[in-house]
Amino acid sequence: MNFVLIFLILIFSLSLFFYGRSKTKSISIEQNIKLNALPKFYGYYLVLWCSIPALVFLLIWSLFEPTIIKSIIIEVAANQGAIFNDKNEANLIYEKIKAIHLGTYIGDIDSILRESALSYAKFINLFTNSKIVLIFGIVIASVIYSLNKIKNNNKARDDVEVILKGLLFVSSLIAILTTLGIIFSLLFESIKFFSVINIFDYLFGTNWSPQKAFVNDASLITEAEYAELKDAFGFIPLIAGTSFIAFIAMLVAVPVGLFSGIYMAEYASSKVRRVSKPIIEILAGIPTVVYGFFAALTVGPFFRQVGENLGLTVSSESALAAGLIMGIMIIPYISSLSDDVINSVPQSLRDGSYAIGATKSETIKKVVIPAALPGIIGSVLLAVSRAIGETMIVVMAAGLAANLTINPLDSTTTITTQIVMILVGDQEFDSPKTQSAFALGLTLFIATLILNYIAQRAVKKYREKYD
Amino acid sequence: MSDIKIRSKNLNVYYGEKQALFDVNLDLNEKEVTALIGPSGCGKSTFIRCINRMNDVIDICKVTGNIEIDGIEINDKNLDVVSLRERVGMVFQKPNPFPKSIYDNISYGPKIHGKGESKDELDEIVESSLRKAALWEEVKDRLDEPGTGLSGGQQQRLCIARAISVNPEVILMDEPCSALDPIATAKIEELIDELKTAYTIVIVTHSMAQAVRVSQKTGFFHLGKLIEVGETEKIFKNPDNKMTQDYITGRFG
Amino acid sequence: MTKEQRLKKRHSAEKRFRFYGLASIFIALLFVVILVHNIFSKGSSAFMKTAINVDVFFDQELLGIPNNPSKEQISDADLYDVAIESILKVYPASGLDQENALIDLFTIDAEIEIKNALIKNPNLIGKTITLEITASDDIDQLHKGNYPRELPEDRRRISDYQLQIYDTLVEDNKIVKNFNTYYFQNGDSRDPELAGIGGALVGSFYSIIICLLLAFPVAVLASIYLEEFAPKNKITDFIEININNLAAVPSIVYGLLALQILLATIQLPRSTALVAGITLALMTLPRIIIPCRASLKAVPPSIREGALAVGASKFQSVFHHVVPLALPGTLSGTIIGLAQALGETAPLILIGMVAFVVDIPSTPIDPSSSLPVQVYLWSESAERGFVEKTSATIMMLLSFLIVMNFLAVYLRQKFEKRWN
Repeated sequence: MNFVLIFLILIFSLSLFFYGRSKTKSISIEQNIKLNALPKFYGYYLVLWCSIPALVFLLIWSLFEPTIIKSIIIEVAANQGAIFNDKNEANLIYEKIKAIHLGTYIGDIDSILRESALSYAKFINLFTNSKIVLIFGIVIASVIYSLNKIKNNNKARDDVEVILKGLLFVSSLIAILTTLGIIFSLLFESIKFFSVINIFDYLFGTNWSPQKAFVNDASLITEAEYAELKDAFGFIPLIAGTSFIAFIAMLVAVPVGLFSGIYMAEYASSKVRRVSKPIIEILAGIPTVVYGFFAALTVGPFFRQVGENLGLTVSSESALAAGLIMGIMIIPYISSLSDDVINSVPQSLRDGSYAIGATKSETIKKVVIPAALPGIIGSVLLAVSRAIGETMIVVMAAGLAANLTINPLDSTTTITTQIVMILVGDQEFDSPKTQSAFALGLTLFIATLILNYIAQRAVKKYREKYD
Repeated sequence: MSDIKIRSKNLNVYYGEKQALFDVNLDLNEKEVTALIGPSGCGKSTFIRCINRMNDVIDICKVTGNIEIDGIEINDKNLDVVSLRERVGMVFQKPNPFPKSIYDNISYGPKIHGKGESKDELDEIVESSLRKAALWEEVKDRLDEPGTGLSGGQQQRLCIARAISVNPEVILMDEPCSALDPIATAKIEELIDELKTAYTIVIVTHSMAQAVRVSQKTGFFHLGKLIEVGETEKIFKNPDNKMTQDYITGRFG
Repeated sequence: MTKEQRLKKRHSAEKRFRFYGLASIFIALLFVVILVHNIFSKGSSAFMKTAINVDVFFDQELLGIPNNPSKEQISDADLYDVAIESILKVYPASGLDQENALIDLFTIDAEIEIKNALIKNPNLIGKTITLEITASDDIDQLHKGNYPRELPEDRRRISDYQLQIYDTLVEDNKIVKNFNTYYFQNGDSRDPELAGIGGALVGSFYSIIICLLLAFPVAVLASIYLEEFAPKNKITDFIEININNLAAVPSIVYGLLALQILLATIQLPRSTALVAGITLALMTLPRIIIPCRASLKAVPPSIREGALAVGASKFQSVFHHVVPLALPGTLSGTIIGLAQALGETAPLILIGMVAFVVDIPSTPIDPSSSLPVQVYLWSESAERGFVEKTSATIMMLLSFLIVMNFLAVYLRQKFEKRWN
């Protein structure tokens, strides 16, 4: 139905374009009026006024219609006598009603369901008809308005450009909308979570086992239940695991990345650089699920085997394996950025050092790197931010054990792994368990935001020195 | 008559396909200031960069011919460039202090070459270098401040002090005053006059007046060739070569 | 320390330092090689499947269909008995256990393969023909050399008797390999020999197209606004800060965003390419805006001024003159952004694409999967046969990515003007 409407609106607008353009041309010739713009712009004007208000209206209506109908029908069902204890049961009944209406419901239909289904049909009809009528009205109103404007020989090109500029502005607002969307989504569920679980129990708790939380309706938790519950959502083991694996990753990525960047910037001939730089960038282009597969299938078991041969117990999902692979993925972030940053250090500094009789490595170690330090630190922070936000490698290669280990041969879990594990199972939307995933997401978002901010400031400070 | 410190024979320099210096034969005397003059791009900077092998830093640069310092050939592949540059210092056109403290700028050279083991020794070297560069009084109370925070003229004197800190025998100066105001320039020229008693100085300059003021010997370069060389007074009063005459009188350049 | 000693020490430090640099590059390159080699060696066998030659007799009596049957009649017919009869003739098995063992050597879909042969050629009624029936997943892996034969019988799924049959068939040249069309045509399946990426391919395709259609226009228009029309005020700064931040947000947060807004509030259908496309578009938006703005910035002001000087409006100078020049860099950045979107997995998992989807989606609002998610799902399976399929899928994914990246680099090099 919506596609048909959109199609009709577009076709109508298109025809208005041709109408507007030819009518304008003919009127200007007949009545010898000087046009304020080329005929085609009058056409464009009509098109924009005809299509945009109607399409925007259609979009907003469609976004909100499902939720509104759902709440109405659930009311109706309640009035019919349906009983549900929480949101999940309400949703279930609503799904059944929808299915009956579509004719796909296989099961017993009691009187409540039947009556509700009839109401549903009625409301769907009502809403659809209102929608069509309203759109019709909007189109007519806009067309009348714009035709009037054209009759008065408006400066069509300017008007069109104003509208287009508005469209451009709205497009750039999408970035803000997205950020708002993210903040809203995370906050909405997190607030629900924190109304059940005390934020300090979350931030400082040392035990993470959300399976304990099979409570369906948060408002019904008793004092005793809460006492058990509050120990299930401790954040500390997750940040510990995330940091530990990220740390191992950095142990690999920083030396290899930094030295690669230094070599490419200072020592490599242009031939070597032309070949090695893109190949190292390949490491950044490989999807992380591929890294995860490699880590889980080859590296993890390999380490376990080697460990066995050496008499050590190594988990097949060791933090070492996950951290190593993550480190390799991060190498290009550090090497590329370091390469750029080192290249921007002015040659005059190097010349000054060479002229005193320093070797190349001495110059690099004592003059170039210190000069490039803010930029390099910025690149390392960005890499850390990437590491803690990484999901697939740890989901596939790290474990689910929320422990506080510092043994790299053990397995440990991370924030991102837990988010995935919680949301991939069956979701009961109002349980603290599901909500905790959003709380984790919020924490992750804030952490990476802070890291990125510091990193960008560092790089900016560095740029100011040398640009 | 001073001894010859630096001697170049049939020196040719190429940047890729382009030749920058053609068969330069030039002798430079010890503990004397030699000025190199000539229009832009005629190879003066290229020449002095050969003396401390700074042209090695540029990939496409190729040098053929001989340069001897104290009779030892320095265009030798086996020569230890690092030691050479300890003996031949350089000051650049635009002051380039390291983004470090004033103290660290000066102590950098001695530290690498192992010239100051203890803190006291380094302190001494820093102070004496800054004194010789006529900068000590101005900065002695703020040695910890960054070298980049000084004025242009002070920065250049800092660079001179830095060059002196490793106790070189030769100081090469590539248009050291071109980025400075007249007062700072005067200070540096005064400094050069004092330094010549201890060091051999070669200075590239755009300003003929400066050449007259500071040097004892002058060489005139044009389009990569050494046209004429001689006592400064002679070059400027009655040069042998017509082209030199034209340049001096401002016919070109 | 003497002067010479010190010098020597410094020079060897120099050599060591240089070596570390070279070694680091080497390590990074080595890893690329190891990864590619590992994946390709595991995955290349997936493109062929093992089949067993079986003489199939289309016994008209057993089938109960007339001569010259219609397609419907064949489809409705039950070919189970024909299939079993023909299979049992492959090896002398006696007793129910042995017969079942023999039947288990074949794919579960053996009956369907035989039926398809009859549909293709209805004249086979009453005749015998040799068909290559796909082998079971275990035999497939055994034949490809991935199976641990040496394990004691109670620790493997293939019994000694079945091994015996297999060896005999190999001797009789009855075991063949043919091109694995299932891999490309089929959707997901619990049986590895039947599993394919058909569904995932279509799902990825729809998702990327929707991502492109949504992200590209909005990103380009936003870039043009920010670069050419936006006044230098706080709002514009704020928008720019936002864009830079969004580019660095972990992808899983976008999954949470999609879950909350697209699925819970707007109630779009779960696990569909539509939702995936919208989510990917939101992620790709900043990744297109950044190179697009850089390209617009690189166009010299003289171009804009020239257009204005002949009386064009600002709009016309931007759209007719500046944007076309910025197009190569923009397109190349877009392609790279799409390549990254193609490999995204975490947000798609959160919007439900981990469901087991057998049918190939026909529209973007059918439940579907995507290539990287399929890799994730198969990697969680215990069956040996999925390892090669997963690796092969990674090979496909990497090939697409390589092509896209080459295209992006080619576009940029061929069409971009350098303004020096």
